[in-house]
Amino acid sequence: MKPLVMIGLFAIAVLTATAGPKPFFPYKYTRHVLPNGLTAYLIPMETPGLVAYYSVVRTGSRDEVEAGKSGFAHFFEHMMFRGTKKYPADVYDNLITSIGAKANAYTTDDLTAYHLNFAKEDLAQVIELESDRFQNLFYEEREFQTEAGAVYGEYRKSITSPWSVLNEKVQDLAYDVHTYKHTTIGFEADIKAMPDQFEYSKTFFKRFYRPENVVLLIAGDVDVKKTVKLLDEKYGPWAKGYTAPAVVPEPPQTAERTAEVSYPGKTLPILDIAYKGDAFDPSNKEYVAAMLLGDLAFGETSAIYKKLVVNEQRVQRLDSSIPMNRDLPLFEISAMIKKADDITGVRDEIYAALETFKNTPIDARRLSDLKKRNKYGFLMGLNTPDRVAGGMARFAALTGGIETVDQLYAAMEAVTPQDIMRAAGKYFAPERRTVVVLKGAQQ
Amino acid sequence: MKTLILMFAAAALCTSIAAAKGDPVTSDQFVLLPVKSDPTVSFRIWFQAGSQDDPKGKEGLAYITAQMVTDGATRKNSYEQVLEKLYPLAASYNAAVNVEMTVISGRTHKDNLKEYYALLTDALLEPAFLQADLDRIKSDILNSLENQLRYSSDEELGKAVLYGEIFRGTSYAHLTNGTIDAVKGITLDDVRSFYQSHYARNRVTIGLGGGYDQKLISDLKRDLGRFPAATDQTPGAPVPQPINGINVAMVEKDAPATAISFGFPINLVRGSKEWYALAIANSWLGEHRNSSSHLYQVIREKRGLNYGDYSYIEHYPGGGFRMLPPQNACRRQQIFEVWIRPVPNETRHFALRAAVREVKGLIANGLTQEEFDLTRKFLKKYVLNYAPTTMERLGYALDDKFYGIKGSHLEIYRSMMDKLTLNDVNAAVKKHLQTDNMRIAVITKDAASFRDALVGDLPSPISYKTPKPQEVLDEDKVIGTFPLKVPAERITIVPVTELFNK
Repeated sequence: MKPLVMIGLFAIAVLTATAGPKPFFPYKYTRHVLPNGLTAYLIPMETPGLVAYYSVVRTGSRDEVEAGKSGFAHFFEHMMFRGTKKYPADVYDNLITSIGAKANAYTTDDLTAYHLNFAKEDLAQVIELESDRFQNLFYEEREFQTEAGAVYGEYRKSITSPWSVLNEKVQDLAYDVHTYKHTTIGFEADIKAMPDQFEYSKTFFKRFYRPENVVLLIAGDVDVKKTVKLLDEKYGPWAKGYTAPAVVPEPPQTAERTAEVSYPGKTLPILDIAYKGDAFDPSNKEYVAAMLLGDLAFGETSAIYKKLVVNEQRVQRLDSSIPMNRDLPLFEISAMIKKADDITGVRDEIYAALETFKNTPIDARRLSDLKKRNKYGFLMGLNTPDRVAGGMARFAALTGGIETVDQLYAAMEAVTPQDIMRAAGKYFAPERRTVVVLKGAQQ
Repeated sequence: MKTLILMFAAAALCTSIAAAKGDPVTSDQFVLLPVKSDPTVSFRIWFQAGSQDDPKGKEGLAYITAQMVTDGATRKNSYEQVLEKLYPLAASYNAAVNVEMTVISGRTHKDNLKEYYALLTDALLEPAFLQADLDRIKSDILNSLENQLRYSSDEELGKAVLYGEIFRGTSYAHLTNGTIDAVKGITLDDVRSFYQSHYARNRVTIGLGGGYDQKLISDLKRDLGRFPAATDQTPGAPVPQPINGINVAMVEKDAPATAISFGFPINLVRGSKEWYALAIANSWLGEHRNSSSHLYQVIREKRGLNYGDYSYIEHYPGGGFRMLPPQNACRRQQIFEVWIRPVPNETRHFALRAAVREVKGLIANGLTQEEFDLTRKFLKKYVLNYAPTTMERLGYALDDKFYGIKGSHLEIYRSMMDKLTLNDVNAAVKKHLQTDNMRIAVITKDAASFRDALVGDLPSPISYKTPKPQEVLDEDKVIGTFPLKVPAERITIVPVTELFNK
């Protein structure tokens, strides 16, 4: 069976049966906001002496509004390791190495996260280094140009996967004007042109890497009082100045869009059906119901999964995704299909499954099973500081905080079979969909 | 009373299990890691079975059998019913099959232990072995071999080719999930036969961790005691063919970038002092996915050629998506291995030379005192990240048993960082590393011209689109003419479509 991947999406917990709103998130945390707008969440938890330190920048490929500049949020993530005057890159690297920290970063559509895992006695050192590079990043053009080469290497590595080729096409076709039109790594042409964009890269830092636009998540063996003091001292001087980019909203889609795309190697055909969804909002009942609908309709225990994957074995894998996004994302269903002449058949099965969910209320038992699953999945997934801080990163990026997890829990617990029917009807309408088929050139 | 081998993060705990007469599963088959504060229970059921046990012509059988146990029907439940019953528990069990081990693992919240345990033991003891499940599992593997590995992951492909070459003719040679022809031919009878001869009560080690109570131990003894006994037919450790000079296996593929892996067998496994000494050198040379890797600094950092460059002294499956080493991938025979992630085709010769030159330099010069001190300081704390959860610590505990380590590899690792000297490290490097006799795997387009370049030991200059410091350019000249002559008879080229068929 598919191993469970818990990314802290779903949150349900019943702690004690007392009156009033119950907090879902199982750890007591402290929220501290500096005068410059930097927000920090400190989450003490039991751990063998480890701390996870996440700096979540609420900027991702969504914010790349200028033409020819796709991929810059990701490229900039690379540049953040290039040092400052106080701690040049090799000194920074040596210090991180000497404390044996596990350090990395990632960029997605709505956020960029810089994360470190280290021994608790090194927290002061980490705060010193992180506060410095977020305020005083400094690099020369030559290093910039060399790093562009590494980014191109990353593109070349990832484009060998048919899923990357597929995603590029789906996003490009589904969106007309919104920046979700391009993938996080960016268009190849823009990546190739990166070495010449030194000055532009510096404006990126100036506009987006500002305290009002960053949330710190610190989980593990932490002394809250001492840590808050250090944060105030080290991040205090950081000047405000976040400039929100003018992200053009995507107009409503009025008709189905379709395309075929070719992959240069060998692959089973992949069908991707993407519907225009809604932005993350726990108070949007249909959106919350849709989050549950994805698993009910296409998860391992769904009728269509049993039919296509297990019994008739026409499909190698079946996945769905109802993501959490700042703007209007794609709600997607994808299938890797064993025979090219069965693509239409599988597509029609997916449409039929969605129709069922529009017209027939889900069995109450299945719904309560899913809620139970989400509860235990979430609780079991919060077993290391890295999973706690990492699991909260997206919530922090979308809303500026993690309190939303409790709201989401309450909303999900309240979802009824009727809500699910309404969500199915609202989002999974033909005029909202983009359908792309990927085929291997070498079959 | 027999004492158990226990692993516990903060302190050692001693518990014993009453050994009743004629217990089919004995106390010393348990590896226990109680953690009172853990609200979950972790299971790792280790069967002494792996791809080295695949009969000839049935490569992939160990893997398929494990999948049939974890991803198929039982006598009681259809596969769909299994999935339905696990669903509300948010729990699953999965098999990790490697050359030497099959470990079926899973974790459940204490609240759901009763239901989970019933499903887990049902899967282990009463698999139905239905044709429909076999068909589905085989289809999955064939897709992986025919499409995914050959076409969408050149770096995994390079490593797979390297291992295939180094271990050619031995029980380690083939991929765990088999070959295309063999997988197609595997039948339910094959699966039943493998299951009966390997899923045996005398071939199982039971790892249990977290917030469990004593009753669970006696339940496991009783239930897994129902497995039949089987004779041990584990093959001896593989003896790789001696490597004569530098041998290059090229795979011709229409790829935009070249993947390179190279290495050779080493006679060192974790637990010995020399292993920890070599681990320090290896970490300096190529710590996995860390910018502290020296190879990374030379090839990526200074020259921007690729996504990363690393080295290993233990098999490290899934390196592309893992940041930290896996558990339960133990091997009696390891290799030293360098992984160069895909580089632009026109820089492939240069990149290979650069990497070999750095390994050679390490052997000739050893680490400096400064490099030694920084690396051991790094490792002492970095290793803390290897097993932050009960499930991971339990995995290491099983590995300790495999390698016959008294105590905890991770604890020994950390203490060795204080005990070892620079001399220890450099001596280990000189003893175990060399560059004269190696196998190199290359996945590339127009392999023939690369072969000609190696045969002729032709210079491989490099040019950049953006300026580089003079010292880099000077070093480039040395790298570009670094001697790496390979006789034509030691270079093979096969098209990618020929891989993994037999």
